Amino acid sequence: MLEMLTTPIAALLFPGGLFALAFGLALKGLDRRLAARLQGRVGPPLAQPLFDLVKLARKRTMVPDIAAEPVFLGAPLIGAVSMLLCAALVPIPGVYTPDTMLGDLLVLLYLLTLPAVVLMIAGSASGSPFGAIGFSREMALMLAYEGPLVLVVVAVAMRTGLGQGDLISFSLSEIIAYQQTHGAFLFDPVMWPALLAFLAFYPANLGIVPFDIPEAETEVLEGPLLEYSGPALGLFKVMSALKAVVVLGLGVALFYPLAPDGALGLLVHLAKLTGMMLIGITVVRLSCGRMRIDQAFSFFLKWPLALSLLSLAIVALA
Amino acid sequence: MTTLLEKITDQARALAVRSPWIYRINAGSCNGCDVECATTALIPRYDVERLGCQYCGSPRHADIVLITGPLTTRVKEDVLRVFAEIPDPKVTVAVGVCPISGGIFRDGYAVNAPIDKYLPVDINVPGCPPRPQAIIEGIAQAIAIWRERL
Repeated sequence: MLEMLTTPIAALLFPGGLFALAFGLALKGLDRRLAARLQGRVGPPLAQPLFDLVKLARKRTMVPDIAAEPVFLGAPLIGAVSMLLCAALVPIPGVYTPDTMLGDLLVLLYLLTLPAVVLMIAGSASGSPFGAIGFSREMALMLAYEGPLVLVVVAVAMRTGLGQGDLISFSLSEIIAYQQTHGAFLFDPVMWPALLAFLAFYPANLGIVPFDIPEAETEVLEGPLLEYSGPALGLFKVMSALKAVVVLGLGVALFYPLAPDGALGLLVHLAKLTGMMLIGITVVRLSCGRMRIDQAFSFFLKWPLALSLLSLAIVALA
Repeated sequence: MTTLLEKITDQARALAVRSPWIYRINAGSCNGCDVECATTALIPRYDVERLGCQYCGSPRHADIVLITGPLTTRVKEDVLRVFAEIPDPKVTVAVGVCPISGGIFRDGYAVNAPIDKYLPVDINVPGCPPRPQAIIEGIAQAIAIWRERL
């Protein structure tokens, strides 16, 4: 097993870094391909996100006159690096357990908010009015979905903790070990409300229809990303590819971490992520229109919040 | 060592050229050509995404620029400004007969066609409006030119 991996390798090669980036790009390619097929088109080649990245790396980054240059260029860098760290924190059941020195579930949750923060900073540093609109929308959306996410995680942690005789357990490895002995939370009716809330959270976090409101290209011309070009825009693409792997991996760890050991376990993990991406994101984004920001806000404060609270209450009382 | 470096550069160029992002500028067009541009992108039959193309909302993301319309006086300054915002290397495709000669508006008092008095045009796609196949052909030729510039 690969548990002896040192932290730098985990962050740069496997399972973070290069591996996560390659897989994230492949997921994006699959997503675009399936979307095209569902619409009856041929669609781009699977490696299209890679071509885009190489292209962006060869173009020039333009900085607007009114932009705050250090912040404008620093924001994408911070976003990409934070996601690299994040990818090293997500366990692959049966294959990789992150070093607890590096951090655990709580650190992961904090790092997961960074991309949204970085987008806000980028949007306001660019000095463009569309960036400012993107900033305010991103902030409203983040306020709406962070609450349910935290409650979902607390519900899962409490379920694990109470099962072990503790009150609460914020250790991803304990959550996984508990599910491997007691059955996955995916098949646990008590956890279903939390699962539904999580399913609503992840398109919002990834910025995908119906919740791509901050970057809506037909309304605010990709909002915070409007002024970016070349390598800086490429870093944002890297960030979003890594974020897909991290958020999907977090979902697998929280709800369905059953997998065999070794190489087969890795394959099963990748298959789970791909399945979640295609069903949970591609099909959803093709069958929905974009919500308005006020609709998304009230949606999140109504259903996912209620569902996650319900789940938490059942877990606490059961 | 240099040959290896050149090889990598060539390889990178070959990959990069498969990702041309398209930006549309409406220089006072009657919307006919814009509808045709939208058609080439959106409907399954003429999918340009299979060439790796993507319509982007921001001029800063663009590689290939499709310009429609006869460059009316009212939008001239804005069009030139947006065009300058597009980072190099870029390729310009003039879609429709208006950017070439002014088309049916050619003697109008508010029309500045031909557009290549103000912008470097690489490909002309004539027609009023041009067929979607012609626009795709124009984009394909633009990609070939773009490969040289990249």
